[in-house]
Amino acid sequence: MNNESDKHWSVRWLQPTGHRAVVAGAVILMLIALVSLSVYETGGTRNAWLHLMYLPIILAAACFGIYGGIAAALVAGLALGPFMPMNVATGLPQTTSNWMFRIGFFLLVGAFSGLISNFLNGQINRLKETHDDLVKAHEELKSAQMKLIQTAKLESIGRLAAGVAHEVKNPLAVIQLGVDYLTSTTKESTNRDAIETIQEMADAVQRADTVIKGLLNFSRSEKLVLAMVDLNSVIEESLLLVKHELMKNHITLEKNLGLALPRIELDHNKIKQVFINMFMNAIQAMGSNGNLSVKTFIQSAGKNSTGQNAVVQIEDTGSGIAEDKLDKLFEPFFTTKPVGSGTGLGLSVSKNIIELHHGNISIANRKDIRGVVVAIMFPVPNRS
Amino acid sequence: MTKKKILVVDDEGGMTRMLKRNLEATNRYNVRTENSGAAAYTAAAEFLPDLILLDVMMPGVDGGDAAAKIKADKNLSHIPIVFLSAIVKKEETQPTGSNIGGLTFLAKPVKLEDLITCIEKQLGE
Repeated sequence: MNNESDKHWSVRWLQPTGHRAVVAGAVILMLIALVSLSVYETGGTRNAWLHLMYLPIILAAACFGIYGGIAAALVAGLALGPFMPMNVATGLPQTTSNWMFRIGFFLLVGAFSGLISNFLNGQINRLKETHDDLVKAHEELKSAQMKLIQTAKLESIGRLAAGVAHEVKNPLAVIQLGVDYLTSTTKESTNRDAIETIQEMADAVQRADTVIKGLLNFSRSEKLVLAMVDLNSVIEESLLLVKHELMKNHITLEKNLGLALPRIELDHNKIKQVFINMFMNAIQAMGSNGNLSVKTFIQSAGKNSTGQNAVVQIEDTGSGIAEDKLDKLFEPFFTTKPVGSGTGLGLSVSKNIIELHHGNISIANRKDIRGVVVAIMFPVPNRS
Repeated sequence: MTKKKILVVDDEGGMTRMLKRNLEATNRYNVRTENSGAAAYTAAAEFLPDLILLDVMMPGVDGGDAAAKIKADKNLSHIPIVFLSAIVKKEETQPTGSNIGGLTFLAKPVKLEDLITCIEKQLGE
């Protein structure tokens, strides 16, 4: 909101800064010079043209406040000095005191208009600050409202999930056992269509079970079992679990785990679940022959904090994410994966888990090359 | 070879029928089914199974109460009980069953081969 281009044109020119201040100063000096010349050409300081000199003085006061008005008044008064003796030609004697009187009058006008200008500018600035505060408060309110809606949405999904999971798992268990029974009875069959149909049913049951599992994870992510944990070792364990997928897809792993990482209070299993989820997302996004980079390091928590964050940065060389989809990634049931390949709950569950640890997660497209960078941050406990 | 006796208790009729059909198809098990927790104790006392597969969430007497009653009877307390639950997550159980607080749990939906492995383990086969 403090951007120069956001200001009204009148504010930009009546409170000029930078190049506008130079232009305004030049215009004022030019006006003083023009009025001085007019006075000279029209016969002296007794002529009505002299009153035009108030214009640049008032303008200077409006632009630069009381000091600007006084400075312009002095310049204007001095500019008239060389013309004072010329009035002898008109037969009207001019004296130094007369000149001083005029300079004094200019100063009075400059100072008075400067005072008014300062007062008005103060009012404008106060109004602007109030306006900025209101805009900021409105934005904060809007953001809090959005978070509230999102939290309510997540809570209701969580409550729904546990109920749905139980109701769906029972019939699913019957179908699973039915499929198993049919599989065993058609083992000797030569009817390939029947065998393939049963296999497809088995796959569908597994897919449905994955969705239900995701829902249960989602509804239960609020319970943490905390312990002081070495973040790097959780990453190593998670990488071990996806090692087969990395090898299968010919993905090279680039590890750069910070040595000075302190132990952090985490729910070991839940954080492992988050990392596996992130690694699997990266692997699926890359397909084959990609590069997965995992880094950990310590970073300052920000300008307004003396604390530090432990950062886990995961980068892939996949196709990246469309910009219009980036802000939807953490919404439940949103997925960029093909139909049937993702539940759309992994990232929302992960975000939930990370936030329960007072951390945060951000996902963006890489700037250097195609791919995605995921940054997960956990606050580091103060050593004192 | 003598067939092992298994009591299956689940309020879902489809579930008990499927379990009976699958387990009996192996020719290794003799299965009796019940569809309520309240009937579990009586059935166990009459049938004297080698193993009980017990659903956790059932209307009226749930799996926990039924198991407690069975375990309280010194004639039945030796019978291993495997809980089949739709509430327990897969992560919390091994595919072939896991021990949670001294009790064996299997998460639904369970694959037949995993179920049989779990049963064999419980029966010491």
